[in-house]
Amino acid sequence: MRSRKLAVLLLSALLVSAAVVAASSKPTVKSLGDALICQCGCNQTVNECNHLECPVRSQMRAMMAKEIAAGKGETAILQDFVLKYGVKVLASPPTQGFNITVWILPGIGLLLGLGFVVFIVKHWRRPPAAAAAAPAPIDPKVLEAMEEEMKKVAHP
Amino acid sequence: MNQVGSVALVAALAFAVYGVVAGAVGGYLRSLKTVRSAERATLAFFVMITVAVVALEFLILKDDFHSAYVAAHSNSALPIYYKIAVLWAGQEGSLLFWTWLLSIYGGLAVLLNHRKNRQLMPYVVSILMATGTFFASITYFVANPFEQLSLVTPQGMTAFSPADGNGLNPSLQYHSMVIHPPMLYLGYVGFVVPFAFAMAALITRQLGDNWIRVTRRWTMVPWMFLGCGILLGANWAYYVLGWGGYWGWDPVENASLLPWLAGTAFLHSVMVQEKRGMLKVWNIVLIIVTFFLCIFGTFLTRSGIVSSVHAFAQSNIGPFFAVFMALIVFFSLTLLFLRLDYLKSENKLDSVVSRESGFLFNNWILLAAVFAVLWGTIFPIISKAIESETITVGPPFFNKVAVPIGLLLLFLTGAGPLLAWRKTSFQSLKRNFTLPVILAAATGIGTLAGGIRGLYPWMTFVLCVFVAVCILQEFYKGARTRMRIAGENFFRAIYNLTMRNTRRYGGYIIHLGIVLLFIGFAGLAFKSETKGLMQQGDLLQVKDYLFRCQELTSGQNPNYEYERAVLTITKDGQALGTVHPERRFYLASQQPISHVAIRPSLKEDIYVVLAGQDQDTGKAVIEVFINPLVSWVWIGGFIVFLGTLLAMVPSRVEREMAEIKRPSETAVEEKHAL
Repeated sequence: MRSRKLAVLLLSALLVSAAVVAASSKPTVKSLGDALICQCGCNQTVNECNHLECPVRSQMRAMMAKEIAAGKGETAILQDFVLKYGVKVLASPPTQGFNITVWILPGIGLLLGLGFVVFIVKHWRRPPAAAAAAPAPIDPKVLEAMEEEMKKVAHP
Repeated sequence: MNQVGSVALVAALAFAVYGVVAGAVGGYLRSLKTVRSAERATLAFFVMITVAVVALEFLILKDDFHSAYVAAHSNSALPIYYKIAVLWAGQEGSLLFWTWLLSIYGGLAVLLNHRKNRQLMPYVVSILMATGTFFASITYFVANPFEQLSLVTPQGMTAFSPADGNGLNPSLQYHSMVIHPPMLYLGYVGFVVPFAFAMAALITRQLGDNWIRVTRRWTMVPWMFLGCGILLGANWAYYVLGWGGYWGWDPVENASLLPWLAGTAFLHSVMVQEKRGMLKVWNIVLIIVTFFLCIFGTFLTRSGIVSSVHAFAQSNIGPFFAVFMALIVFFSLTLLFLRLDYLKSENKLDSVVSRESGFLFNNWILLAAVFAVLWGTIFPIISKAIESETITVGPPFFNKVAVPIGLLLLFLTGAGPLLAWRKTSFQSLKRNFTLPVILAAATGIGTLAGGIRGLYPWMTFVLCVFVAVCILQEFYKGARTRMRIAGENFFRAIYNLTMRNTRRYGGYIIHLGIVLLFIGFAGLAFKSETKGLMQQGDLLQVKDYLFRCQELTSGQNPNYEYERAVLTITKDGQALGTVHPERRFYLASQQPISHVAIRPSLKEDIYVVLAGQDQDTGKAVIEVFINPLVSWVWIGGFIVFLGTLLAMVPSRVEREMAEIKRPSETAVEEKHAL
């Protein structure tokens, strides 16, 4: 009973901690730099552009810093970049039109997979009576005792 | 030498075709003589491809710029170790290299099974040589590395040899690039052997767990090489590309991850078939998927159908690969369909909470990761075809989709091994999971109190503690039992425990390595970056570190010109050392590249880039990244490597069983071959 209470307490603390952590993110030049593709032609994110002295990267970072200072949120800043450079500036497709499938299908795949696994587990499961009739796994303590006995036999 | 190479390729192609036919005919007619002939053809294929490889290396090392391949990818000032690596720097050479590795695997499969698995071997040889035929054909007919340069003159074609070559791509001139592609290719190519055994098992209807047992090490070897190749590639990106990270979800990076994930699922899933005679169809499907993804990865790297930072070797070989992939799918799935009756499960699940279910969930997560990464990688092509719109699917997509899946997988890495086969009782769950859950919860609260922000990194740390405790607890429990029973001291007990069941404890060590990898991944969430303009004597403060520019120098060697900054680093007044970031300009290829200076430590890497020169002030542009915990990625990778090696070592029980097996049994096996 006591250990169950402790487990509930720890789990609650963990969930509250997770909520606090999740709520504490706001846009930064770094986070935006991961969300936008550098328009110098390198085809990499602003943070990952490996062109030496890339002027486009510098311009884009300056624009991010300016908009963050103006108090804009991440969505508004990304929209401004789309207005300036087009949708190709986004490092991941927008969640509209056909492009939404890129976001949805992995989730659907995950759920279908889970459904399939659950179906398999249910379908393949031995009826409880048959499972009970099957020999039960050996208790580790019994196993240890058996090993000790065998050792005594081997080295009397 | 060009002629020698070309003739060797033609001969290899002939041997490969003969191997396909003789293997299949010998197997069908049960003719040992014909099968032996097919096996010798496999060895001859290896010899001929080796001759071709030696011929190309000879041309490269001799700076024979009459050869189109050498002129395009090498130059006379290139250091010898990079010249050796020119073999896999371009399209034609890398395909020849692929074929060579295939011939090595094929030769080894034949030699190591000379007296074993006689019913399977004819078809194994046939399938290996069918793959060899494809790659040798592509190498000879489509991307021949032995083409010669010539000029069209009024008198006709005349031989042409430039004074020097174009040189090796500067970003490939880094030590891990000398071994990264071979490792990756050893991984990609190696999965052909378990695939061949699986197909042979389907053809011969030998669908017990023999093919699984035979191919376990044949699967672990490429899995290990592929993992090493991926990490060496990450190391190359970290040290060469100069953006401060090591994984950018680039399509070609993803292509190498896909077969590794599918291979991981296969390595786990086969255990269920071995122990319980279940998942027989699934295991065949997994090895087909893994091999298909290996070919797909090669296709993606070579065809140029997706934009990639790895655009070193692209050409028009895409359609040939597409046909080959279609043939693999058609042939293997048809065979699978025809043999479904032989693949019935021998057992049922006793309980939802069991090791078998754990493996099913492990496979679900791994395959979900494969699907998510594959879908994100090919989506730009699909979107372009349907919407005519150029879009990018980059790190934000993969981080959002793959990271949660990765965290689920991390959880199973710890929880899975603690579940018992058949059924796990509530008491057992309580006994095994109490300590890991308490310590993980304490870590969660402690890290939050310590100021860690960001849901994913925080969850990663919590789960890493959970998994590490789960695994260490297994070692401790096993050792404690041995200490009590055999009277061994703790370290002797750990050693004997591990060597008695190398597969199980090697696996645990691999899981510990995965924990360290995840710790390293989480560290990047706390990366910080500062840019400054510096000249001699200038100071730059980055977090707790103070950088002082000692001098800016420049120079030249036969291969490149360089500019170098010499920076001293101090922390709280204490000198930490000097770093020398460079910016190089390679003369043959006329390309600039940064040469990053890194001061690694377990806590964080100091990563310094000489990004160039400011146009207005003339000062050096210095970028400094402070990358926490990156070293754990390399350490984790090394531990995964060691764990894999350990899991491949025969355990004491296996060795004892091998000694019990009488030599006459081998003779009987040979006698009844075919």
